[in-house]
Amino acid sequence: MFRKDRLGGTLEGLKRIAGEDNVFTGEADILAYSYDAGSARARPDAVVRVDAADKVAPLVKLLYGAGVPFLPRLAGTNLSGGTIPLKGGVILNLSSLNKIRSIDTAAGVAVVEPGVVNLKLQEELAKAGFFYPPDPASQKVCTIGGNIGENAGGPLCLKYGVTADNVLGLTVVTPQGETLEISTDDPGPDLPGLFTGSEGTLGIAIYARLRILPLPKNIITAVCSFASVDDAMKAVAATIASGIVPRALEAMDRVSLDAAGGGGLELSDRTGAVLIIELDGNSRRDLEKEMAEIRAFAAAAGSLDFRETADNAEREVLWAARKGAYPALARLAPNVMVEDGAVPRPKLPRAAAEVRRILSDYKLTAGLLFHAGDGNLHPNVIYDERDIEETRRVRKAGHEILRACIDLGGTISGEHGVGVEKRLAMNWLYDRAELELFSRVKEALDPKDLANPDKIIPVSDRHARRKDAAPAARSAAASALITELKYRAAHGIKSRVKGLGTRLASPGGEAAGRDLDVSGLKSVVEIYGDNLTATFEAGIPLRTLRSELKAVGLEVPMPKLDGTLGGLIATKAWAGIRDLLLGLELALPDGTVCRLGGKSVKNVAGYDLTRLLCGSLGAYGVILSATIRLCPAGTGRHSPQSVPGALRPAGKSPRFPHAESRATGFVPSDIHRRLKKAFDPENLLNPWIYG
Amino acid sequence: MSKYEVNEMYDAHAEGELHLPSLLTHLGERSLYDAVSQCSRCGYCETVCPTYMLTGREPISARGRNQLVRMTMEGKARGAASESLDTCLLCGACSEACFAKVPTADIVLEGRRAALGPAPRLIPVLLSRLMLDRPGLFGFLLKLGALARRTGLPRLAGKLGFFRMLGLGPLEKAELEAPSMPLTFLSEKLAADPELSAGTDDEPRAWAYFAPCGPNYLFTGVGEATVALLKRFLGRGVFFHNSCCGLLAYNYGDIRHARDFARRNIEKYEALRERLGGVKIVGDCSSCTAFMKTYEQLFTAEPEWRPRAAAFAAAVRDAIEAIPPSAMTHAPKETLAEAGRITYHDSCRACHGQGIRTEPREALKTLAGKRFTELPESDWCCGGAGAYSFTQPEMSDKILRRKTANIASVRADTVAVGATSCLLQINAGLKRDYPSARAVHYTQLVEKLTRPVAELRAPTAGNAALIRPPAK
Repeated sequence: MFRKDRLGGTLEGLKRIAGEDNVFTGEADILAYSYDAGSARARPDAVVRVDAADKVAPLVKLLYGAGVPFLPRLAGTNLSGGTIPLKGGVILNLSSLNKIRSIDTAAGVAVVEPGVVNLKLQEELAKAGFFYPPDPASQKVCTIGGNIGENAGGPLCLKYGVTADNVLGLTVVTPQGETLEISTDDPGPDLPGLFTGSEGTLGIAIYARLRILPLPKNIITAVCSFASVDDAMKAVAATIASGIVPRALEAMDRVSLDAAGGGGLELSDRTGAVLIIELDGNSRRDLEKEMAEIRAFAAAAGSLDFRETADNAEREVLWAARKGAYPALARLAPNVMVEDGAVPRPKLPRAAAEVRRILSDYKLTAGLLFHAGDGNLHPNVIYDERDIEETRRVRKAGHEILRACIDLGGTISGEHGVGVEKRLAMNWLYDRAELELFSRVKEALDPKDLANPDKIIPVSDRHARRKDAAPAARSAAASALITELKYRAAHGIKSRVKGLGTRLASPGGEAAGRDLDVSGLKSVVEIYGDNLTATFEAGIPLRTLRSELKAVGLEVPMPKLDGTLGGLIATKAWAGIRDLLLGLELALPDGTVCRLGGKSVKNVAGYDLTRLLCGSLGAYGVILSATIRLCPAGTGRHSPQSVPGALRPAGKSPRFPHAESRATGFVPSDIHRRLKKAFDPENLLNPWIYG
Repeated sequence: MSKYEVNEMYDAHAEGELHLPSLLTHLGERSLYDAVSQCSRCGYCETVCPTYMLTGREPISARGRNQLVRMTMEGKARGAASESLDTCLLCGACSEACFAKVPTADIVLEGRRAALGPAPRLIPVLLSRLMLDRPGLFGFLLKLGALARRTGLPRLAGKLGFFRMLGLGPLEKAELEAPSMPLTFLSEKLAADPELSAGTDDEPRAWAYFAPCGPNYLFTGVGEATVALLKRFLGRGVFFHNSCCGLLAYNYGDIRHARDFARRNIEKYEALRERLGGVKIVGDCSSCTAFMKTYEQLFTAEPEWRPRAAAFAAAVRDAIEAIPPSAMTHAPKETLAEAGRITYHDSCRACHGQGIRTEPREALKTLAGKRFTELPESDWCCGGAGAYSFTQPEMSDKILRRKTANIASVRADTVAVGATSCLLQINAGLKRDYPSARAVHYTQLVEKLTRPVAELRAPTAGNAALIRPPAK
């Protein structure tokens, strides 16, 4: 087909909006935008360099109207093929939108354009004594826009959260070209949570409001070597279980260390893995005390040596070794496939062993890097993509590694995104119900499927995993509730979701529907102490939840609130809940159950509907159970920074006990309504809200 | 050498001598295809690539260039790479940022050679032929040009395209900025210096001064300052009586001429070594010394020449690294006052090409103390890049503006540089954008700052090149 046709006659329009000099259709540009740091390839039909943020919306509107696929692209460093134009169309090159609009240290907010390079922002913030926590290894080149698209992490996210935890608000251009201002403080479903990590499939961020923090007064770093990865992980597990939250807890295995030239460390022949531990805080004495504790944990786990870095220079060498490990592996062979699985933390040694077995089965060499503190592992498999047979083995091994992570209760991507390269694996992680829900969400925002099409959601279920023979064990109350929902859906009966009635009051009468009592959902599904997570049914009173946890020496780092867990999530009575919530089991109005998120503390596989459900006021689905982060009893209060959510001001979002829902100030926007249709097309749940 | 089949460029490679038979990379000797395939597309080079940072365009980024050359070799990009190749500054910042040290500049040059095929650009070829075969005539023509300028005919010379005809377009642009072009070349002056002659005593000497074309034909004061410094700090030495290093032919013309230049210099070095022992070859243009350090790469297919080239390369030193920072002391007030606020621009082929960063800084810090200030983005190319300012004037100018803005941002008065191309380019930019500052060659500045106080008030003829021009 002629390229002109594939652009649907938009070429002139693109030039008019973007400027003649900013529209490229030459072969060199087409070729140079047909790759990124992954291995997928596809040719765009045109590349448009956007030199002003306010040009994005008219460009998108034009393309959408003409039915031309498009996607945003920045540094092109993503590892999952996220910026490959699978259906051709137009690449919107936003790398020139690189202005930092403002840095407000009093409010702790920076407003930036998407093309700002992560490290550049850090440098500017450092001048004011601040930092922005997400620090992906590629921060020297990767951009904030890309970080938002992929929900990027980095070593510091153990303590300070991933990108989604640090985005306070976004200005988003939707696939249809409308501009939305969204904030985590808005009442109603959490839209920034949904957009962050959506890989350009739901919209394009043109401004981001980011949370920035004062640089800690003290940082102490230690490096510790072990004979094996297993031993290192034992030390990690003990550290996490103690409630100490290091600013970073990174592990590298021997292959990575050798590639990175030992990282300036003296390695003995026995060294099989190295752990980098970094603590930060205001009181040096406290840090030293904590480091001493960690040293004891390491010794108990069989550490070979433990050394605190003497000065900043030594520390920088160490970090250069860690952050340079991936590129250093690039010296050993032309290509590196960086896998990105995440598992519940206690499963990390098992996962590492599995990965090693798979690699040896496929006769591959790989360095293993771990964000050990949050169960995220990166096998860096080296190969030569020109060797087709070897490349095939790498792909297969990659898939087996992902399956292994899923089997261990983990996920297929901790921080790199799904893009095109892990699309297939989504079939193994999710059931049809969840994938269909993702599709409906995508369709709600992008009915013509033009924004970065064919990403994230599998295009075929040919490789779908056979469903487990036995469905997950469910309490009688939950089963009954599902049956009831099915019945009501079949008869078109509307429901009014009711817990303890603490927060969400509703108008009485016919319009509000029949009560759906969820207060029977009050069992403890699982307390996973070693992972510092727990799963509760949604109707459990927070008071009960607290006492159940206290009995096993744990707590949730949040204010003491009344009501139920489900109610807290549905109403966002405390905004920080969005950062504590890891997974949800959600019953859709027709009784279909979707399992969203999981038990791993990092998870970017698929749309983050878990966050979206925060503030959904029961109108999107009935929360059956929720998995939340915990901390050891007594530590949540003493170190408020220990969990990202705890940093959020508690008073920001309105508390509205016994008030009418209107009093929450929530007036559904067009986007909320469209999403409502994706979840509840017949408006069966809490119908007055979207009435 | 590669186990993979490629087409296109490899036909050109069959002609061998018009190309580098293989590249000497950090990871060992590699075929061009293997070297370029080592780029894993991670993108870590993007933020240091000046052309990418100014345009945001992938095809004119380091990664884009490597990929386009690779695709060309794989038959997927016939003819699409020309803009990418032409816009490369060859600054080498990307290779320094790259963990696999993919030699983008060499790859780009191979790409250019393949694109040009067996008929490289005429002017540079003629020019190097002229320099190789008729150095006397070349010198005569240059002087004619200089005379034309002195006699008030610069515009006419410009109009007639005199410099352009010689392939020295940048000189045309630099006419007004450059110090008056000399009528006596540096090589002629140095040949007349008895101290620099090997004489008959055959005593070991510490150094042999290699006069790069810039100091030789244009900035004779730079060469004189370098020689004075070498005498002052390293003891006795000789003049190399060199040919051009061959970089011009390597970058813009016929690589066979580059080899011819290299062979001549290697032979000369061997003769010197025979008589005087292992001298260091010290040159004062970073582009040239960096290139001479890679002479071996020119001869990977010539077993006889390869080790000789390697031995030559091992003896090469850049003047900015050869002058020992440890020998410096705080400079006298008078000279410092004259120099004002001093900063240092890392010439690309010094920092990226040879990894020289600390020596000049250490020396300047000792000499100037608080008057030395770091230049933001000091290792960003100035856009001079040999003939780049001539072949890509627009891009070159954008890059230059960024450099002058950085110089202005620290309110520098004197910018020390290591390559003569930077000297031309930055001075041209400063004159327009920030006239209170001036670029000088590092050796000129250091020579001035280390001059014994007694000499200060009675400048000798050789030291007449002052840091600042006399006030008009």
